[in-house]
Amino acid sequence: MKSNSSRRDFLCSGLALPVAGLASTVGFGKATIQSSSPPSLASAPKLAYRAIGKTGLKVTSVGFGCMVTSDASVIERASDIGINYFDTARGYQHGNNERMVGAALKKKRKDLVLSSKSGARTKDAALSDLDTSLRELGTDFLDIWYLHSRDHTSDVFDELFEAQQIAKQQGKIRFAGLSTHNAKDMIPFLVKKGALDVVLTTYNFTMDKSMDALIEQASNAGMGVVAMKVMAGGFRAGNPRRAFYPQLTKDGAMLAALKWVLKNPKVDTTIPSMTDMDQLEENLKAMAEPYSPVEEKLLAQRLEQIGPLYCRMCGDCEGSCRKGLPVANLLRFLTYAEGYGQFSLGREHFLALPAEVTSVRCQDCVSCTVACRFGVKVSSRLARAQELFA
Amino acid sequence: MKSLRLALLMLAVASVAPAAEVADCHLVAGWGQQGSARHFTADNLFEYVDGNAEGYLLYGFVQMHGVTCQSGGESILVDVFEMTDADSAYGVFTANLDPHLPIEKVGMGGQIMPRRALFCKDKYYVELAANSEKGQTAALRAFVREAEKRIPGRSTPPAALSWFPTEKLASVRLIPESVLGLRLLKRGFVAHYEQGQAFVVMEQSPESAAAVLSKLQQRFGEAAPAQVADEAFQADDQYLGGMCIFRKGRYIGGFANMPDPKDATTQAVSLADHIPGM
Repeated sequence: MKSNSSRRDFLCSGLALPVAGLASTVGFGKATIQSSSPPSLASAPKLAYRAIGKTGLKVTSVGFGCMVTSDASVIERASDIGINYFDTARGYQHGNNERMVGAALKKKRKDLVLSSKSGARTKDAALSDLDTSLRELGTDFLDIWYLHSRDHTSDVFDELFEAQQIAKQQGKIRFAGLSTHNAKDMIPFLVKKGALDVVLTTYNFTMDKSMDALIEQASNAGMGVVAMKVMAGGFRAGNPRRAFYPQLTKDGAMLAALKWVLKNPKVDTTIPSMTDMDQLEENLKAMAEPYSPVEEKLLAQRLEQIGPLYCRMCGDCEGSCRKGLPVANLLRFLTYAEGYGQFSLGREHFLALPAEVTSVRCQDCVSCTVACRFGVKVSSRLARAQELFA
Repeated sequence: MKSLRLALLMLAVASVAPAAEVADCHLVAGWGQQGSARHFTADNLFEYVDGNAEGYLLYGFVQMHGVTCQSGGESILVDVFEMTDADSAYGVFTANLDPHLPIEKVGMGGQIMPRRALFCKDKYYVELAANSEKGQTAALRAFVREAEKRIPGRSTPPAALSWFPTEKLASVRLIPESVLGLRLLKRGFVAHYEQGQAFVVMEQSPESAAAVLSKLQQRFGEAAPAQVADEAFQADDQYLGGMCIFRKGRYIGGFANMPDPKDATTQAVSLADHIPGM
């Protein structure tokens, strides 16, 4: 049982140039520019810069997603090293994240590209959010202001674009953007609208080729492309502290995942989340080292491991089981048990299904009518769910 | 086999209650449910808490039950988050509270504002939100009061909170990973002061704590020994300022971002004195 609306839906019913060399970078192509970092560290990492669309903003190809960072020292160090793009949102920890980011970066604000987001649904609420963001971040303007997490075209109203234009005119933002987890619907929509400078989208190695085409479409339309969820959520949806995240870090798979994103020249920058100095140092390597065949192989292995198990919840298989099984839901219940160690929860959900569903046994079918385009071995996974829960 | 089935059934029941029971509009007279109830797990929380789900997942989110309640033209959301344990519930509460407002004695702690209320009790973190322009403080307070009654278990904040020196203390948070931005310090409490910050991390054993302290000392190259608890060092770091880190039994604690390592050591002694011995 779940509601279709998000909490945000409910809650919302109701200029110094930031980058050195900006003036000379207007009209930059998407070429990567290699440069040395500030000389503050003993072994200065090599940084790579890219221009964000047609904004003229020139940023490190590895930016910093501040959402889960809890200690300002990591952000301070990243900026000292030379990372110059930092992203937060009004909604992160009810504003506490913006406050921390502002405190961490206040001494360097003029040298940085700073973005935040608003989940507001009306013009007035969005502009009010923006004022709060500016206050909490301790700055007069944002370089990019995103409409936060818009996954359906129905989530975007003209008055929100209007709010962004007003904010631009008032000098409170320099560029307008939108963040989405649903590029498939949103990028063509945004290209058609032509109202935005930047799109912040989920993009990682678990996605199929159609995503590359969407990114190209956005880029060709002049929009900057910023990639998030670049580590594929620690290679599964949800909590990076679970599953095999430490192993993935150890064997270099997480770095490989970041490099995979950066090898797409149409991606202007990335905002991986970072909570500690080790992660920061690891991620910096993505700018200094090329994506290698060894890493290609590593990610292919990982994809093979998670591919047959990991339901992307794309909904394509809906209605394709001849016995009427709710395939995606059953796979999700199995993930509760196997992926999250929540057997009771998985079983509870399974038993809540109608008897005509719980009584089906996949082994009774000679062949399976459900085909997953991502390679999930649906019939064997469903059989596993039935074995566990029925 | 029968006892196993019974145990599984009990587990299944335990996973529903009391989160589902607390997410109930009839907690307060005059309010009724609008639409269907919500239930989200780690797999799909992002559908509801759009763009901020990781902030909950980091704290060991298990599941969420929620309802939208209506009375007249007013609506209130009641969302009950089940976390892995009481400390995690307190942690997500401290991550989301307004640091400018006092913490009220509701469960382990709570805040009630005109359009928002939050509190935690045992392993549950509860968020309420009103969409009223004029605010709904009284209704939110009534929901909080009744919801708290329905949640059994711990209402005392984590013991570690009482270990931090109270003079000029601004706030205390549970950091779910990488305390002070150091991966070696996995999870612990951090207290912010007018000047500097203190922390306490619990390791599994004195031996593992000693190993972590040794690695930390190596990390801060020019560390000097200090006389605090079982073993300690002080250092001056570009980002963490004057600092002193000590071990007491299986606890690692310390002060950082002080003007001078000696100041950090003085404060660290006070913190160590309050941490229970073995």
